[in-house]
Amino acid sequence: MNHKGGWALIKNTWQSWLQHRGFFFLLAFGWMLPLLVYLFIWSAAAGEGSLAGLTQESLAGYYLVLILVNQLTYSISNWTVGDNIRYGQINRWLLQPMSPLYHSLSSEIAGKVVFMLFSIPITALLAIIIQPRFNLTWSQGLLFIPAVLAAWALRFFWGYWLALLAFWATRADSLLALQDSFIFLFGGHLAPIALLPAWMRSIAQILPFRYMSAFPVEVLVGQLTTREILVGFAYQAGWTVVAFILYRLVWTRGVRHYEAIGG
Amino acid sequence: MRHLKLIASFFKVSTQAELAYRSNFFIRLLNSFLSLGTGVLSLVVIFNQVETINGWSLPGTLALLGIYLLLGGLRGLFISPSLESVAGMDGEIWQGTFDFTMLRPVDKQFLVSFRNWRIYALFDVVLALGVLIYAIILLGETLSLGILLSFLLMLLASVILLYSSLLAFSALVFWNSGFLFTWIINDLFQLARYPVGLYPDWLRLILTWIIPVGLMTTIPAQALSGTLSPAMMAITLIFSLATLAGASWLFRRGLMKYASASS
Repeated sequence: MNHKGGWALIKNTWQSWLQHRGFFFLLAFGWMLPLLVYLFIWSAAAGEGSLAGLTQESLAGYYLVLILVNQLTYSISNWTVGDNIRYGQINRWLLQPMSPLYHSLSSEIAGKVVFMLFSIPITALLAIIIQPRFNLTWSQGLLFIPAVLAAWALRFFWGYWLALLAFWATRADSLLALQDSFIFLFGGHLAPIALLPAWMRSIAQILPFRYMSAFPVEVLVGQLTTREILVGFAYQAGWTVVAFILYRLVWTRGVRHYEAIGG
Repeated sequence: MRHLKLIASFFKVSTQAELAYRSNFFIRLLNSFLSLGTGVLSLVVIFNQVETINGWSLPGTLALLGIYLLLGGLRGLFISPSLESVAGMDGEIWQGTFDFTMLRPVDKQFLVSFRNWRIYALFDVVLALGVLIYAIILLGETLSLGILLSFLLMLLASVILLYSSLLAFSALVFWNSGFLFTWIINDLFQLARYPVGLYPDWLRLILTWIIPVGLMTTIPAQALSGTLSPAMMAITLIFSLATLAGASWLFRRGLMKYASASS
């Protein structure tokens, strides 16, 4: 496999994306807003007291970290996979002497670089306005890193295998919209998992969506016991393996099924 | 009369074009139910934790959600598709094809406001009306004719405010054609999903007077519950008409600035 070519592609992509940063800043702004809405709603609901042990300050901390984690794990490249298959762009990728996965990876990395340039300053500014409270420890910080990397991998490969269904169905990307709704409901966006009703909490525990976004945040801001952290990592690792296997399966079958049209 | 005839033929042509893609029917239906489902479930989750937030209870907030979905449906029916075709991504200003629009023998603001229709947005309108009626039943009030009339009047004011805000943001594209101003207002519109009184003071001021998305849903909801004073009604009406005049003025100024695009 040609990793050097892959790295050149990655660097090239983020440099070219930086030239269109206005567009990507807008995208980042749009992803931030729903989370800000629920930050304000839950703060108003908690008032001076607390809900399930969460005060206004800790809710603010949770959501501000979630804004960053959500953008780090969100895979915009999932949305273009289907188009590239439909329009036949993938022909060229299949001929290049490196894995087509690099094209998606390069957009992923470029995206993270550009989005963070916008989101980190804005989140810092918001932190000054709404005064969140964190109790960070070194161990939480260390555990956060593998949790966020695995969350990205899980979300990326999960969206990727769904997007690759475009080999068979032209509108497979509506499955991605469905995935976004599930992440909103069960991935800690609508409410921190602790505030969900019991039946939703148990669904959230099992499905992969919490492990794509809320789990690293819960680890970092210290909402979980040691046991819950271990169970969470087990679920996250399990779902990531499942997502990767599904991706390999759909990809190999899809390429065999694929037939370019047009020219 | 001529304008009504034009609208009818715009509607017909857009609908014929859209109905050619049959799978879109199911995908749009799925999306409409997703936005309804996530919206209602969000309220269930929130009011499972607290009885009221700043005086807003479940039925009142549900009515407001109905108004939000209704406005969103109207926006998606023609306002956004029409304005986006000028000021959106790959819009006419961006591509320089706005020249042809300028040559049409009809008022330009009328043309860019009404020319594209998305018939499937009617799903959203129907579902929104369902939510609204259910919320009114939950509120358990017998609607007097006066309340109903003031509600409809305030709803009209909200549609005017929504249209004017979208028009004003679209007009900004004449000053900077590379920036997607319409995306900003579309993102901010999401804040109208909840009563403006639930947001912190600084945000409430912005959402009332600067970018009035907060008024669009809160005011009709208050009219429906009979808590809106006649003075506030008059102010809202005058404010919405002033916004319309301001946005139209901005649009005409922009038209004068338009200097085509070279290619």
